[in-house]
Amino acid sequence: MSLLKRIIPPKKWRIPVIILAGIFVGTGFFIMKESNVVAYLSDDPRACINCHVMTPEYITWDHSSHREVASCNDCHVPHDNVFNTYYFKAKDGLYHASIFTLRMEPQTITMREASERVVQQNCIRCHENQVTDARMEGAVDNHKENRTERTCWECHQETPHGSVKSLSSVGFQIEPSPLRTRQKLFVPGWIKRELETKKNKN
Amino acid sequence: MNKTGRNWLLFGVTAIVVFLLGMLASTITNRKTEARFAYQPLVEIDENEARNSVWGENFPRQYQSWLQTTDSTFKSYLNGNKLVDMLEEDPNLVVLWAGYGFSKDYNQPRGHMYAIEDIHNTLRTGAPTGEGTGPMPSTCWTCKSPDVPRLMNEKGIAEFYSGKWADKGTEVVNPIGCADCHDAKTMSLKISRPALVEGLKAMGKDVNQATHQEMRSLVCAQCHVEYYFNKKEPKEGVPYLTFPWKNGMSVEAMEKYYDEMEFKDWTHKISKAPMLKAQHPGYEVWSEGIHAKRNVSCADCHMPYKTEGGQKFTDHKIQSPLNNIANSCQVCHREDAEKLIENVYSNQSKIKENQLKLEELLVSAHVEAGKAWELGATEEQMKDILMDIRHAQWRWDYSVASHGGSFHAPVEIGRVVSSAIVIAQESRLKLSRLLSELGWNKPVPFPDISTKEKAQDFIGLPHEKLKKEKEEFKKNLVPKWLKEAKERESKLAVKTKS
Repeated sequence: MSLLKRIIPPKKWRIPVIILAGIFVGTGFFIMKESNVVAYLSDDPRACINCHVMTPEYITWDHSSHREVASCNDCHVPHDNVFNTYYFKAKDGLYHASIFTLRMEPQTITMREASERVVQQNCIRCHENQVTDARMEGAVDNHKENRTERTCWECHQETPHGSVKSLSSVGFQIEPSPLRTRQKLFVPGWIKRELETKKNKN
Repeated sequence: MNKTGRNWLLFGVTAIVVFLLGMLASTITNRKTEARFAYQPLVEIDENEARNSVWGENFPRQYQSWLQTTDSTFKSYLNGNKLVDMLEEDPNLVVLWAGYGFSKDYNQPRGHMYAIEDIHNTLRTGAPTGEGTGPMPSTCWTCKSPDVPRLMNEKGIAEFYSGKWADKGTEVVNPIGCADCHDAKTMSLKISRPALVEGLKAMGKDVNQATHQEMRSLVCAQCHVEYYFNKKEPKEGVPYLTFPWKNGMSVEAMEKYYDEMEFKDWTHKISKAPMLKAQHPGYEVWSEGIHAKRNVSCADCHMPYKTEGGQKFTDHKIQSPLNNIANSCQVCHREDAEKLIENVYSNQSKIKENQLKLEELLVSAHVEAGKAWELGATEEQMKDILMDIRHAQWRWDYSVASHGGSFHAPVEIGRVVSSAIVIAQESRLKLSRLLSELGWNKPVPFPDISTKEKAQDFIGLPHEKLKKEKEEFKKNLVPKWLKEAKERESKLAVKTKS
């Protein structure tokens, strides 16, 4: 109570303080809008290319078979419980944002250890049946060790991003896919119009 | 700490926080501005842009791989990307197509980049001397260039098909490329040829319902299909490009379609049979094969992914997958390249065996029918026989004309060839009965058609004259067309972005 008292200004200062607080909050909203912050709550992989440094990762994923079944969040965020999901996402996201703001992003983005653990868990989450085969267990020496102590991408290096994915190696490449998913019609307007007028004539 | 000091501190901290907030806002704006320049298109591409090089400004990798369709060094068992004179390789063809353009000249196709050059050069398009001359209609341009949808959009579809091939020589100059398959705004795949939309509609299908994977084949199906020129509908006298798909895409369904409308491409010069020319039913045959049934699209094998540096993109060097086995076949099939090639060739050579037999049967049938006419056979007596010849040759042509057929759907092609052999033999049985009725009770000698020249002499084709006229055309008219096109295109602005 006494803390609140100390913060709430005396009556004659209220108006200027409200205006000042409004400026603060307004600036905050401006930043949120500029950085499209709401997108980060979604599952849309395009949120990850709000910052263009992620474009190589986006492009390589968009040209992989995982495009059809798994988006960024499916692999790079834990899915054991909903609190952990958002906690990890917020932690990772703030780290990304800070590094990016400080212009400290590396040419080649690599995973940190915490992230590696998450991705490995997520590989297993979907591919459990492929990696726990009782027959393999019996027939192959070290099968258990190999599948529990190594990461999947030690061998599956190209999945899904490929092994070459630095900013400088991507060079000039336009990625039209955000638009592509929006396009539903394959017949251009002029063909449609022409064929319709032809039908009317007959 | 005294009150003044505390207040100053509070003031300073707030100032720093506001300063940092402002900095943050400014870096976000800066970074967003950066993003507007990174990975962004250089030029604005118009809906009707036919010049492939303009698209190439924005998509250099795809464009450069497309340029490589000029490569003509690969030869497979049946095809490749070399220009091979098919009539020279197989002079039977000259007799089978007697009276039709294909007996003049028929080559194995080269890459898309050559589309315009090769249609200029073939003897089939004749030697026009200016507008309104030459043997071929404007419709022959339809599959050759992205200038075609541009012109159709500007003039109208039926209007495009009207007139002679030579009339549009200055307009159609860019070889098959970007705008044929891509939307200029979204780069999404699109259909640019109305004939496919109408063909699918006749079967009750709507292109707009297609999935992305289906589109990766449908854009090819705009051209690599069986088609004919309908001169009655929708406009009298205009050779309107039409796909005969109303009853379905099988060899029988299309045969029935043509029979019902009593359509013929030409009358055979020797047998006088009302012939059908199968064009290149690649899509139809492919759809009968195992790859189609496992939902593998044309692009999956003919345009596999390619990596250059960190860029993974679709290889636009459209070619035989056998020239790029690692990226096409071996993505799914874990066999040695040699083994895979062996499997393909084994299917193809087994089918080829019977196709060649069938060709000989058909040549014999034509020659024997010619003999029957010579001995005074009547229309009535010949009617059934000629229909048999028509059907047998249509089925043979369907089996060979799509080039890759014996790989795409070996069982179906094997079936079609066998059915054609039966019909061809049937016609020859009837012919031998008729010939003996007419007093000719011995074999009709098989002509000497061991070379292309001999075969063309046999059917009475003035090949030397045609070649000479073509040379004139190439010397006089083609350079004029290209010059005028260059002038026209140089006036078109290219809008640069940002």
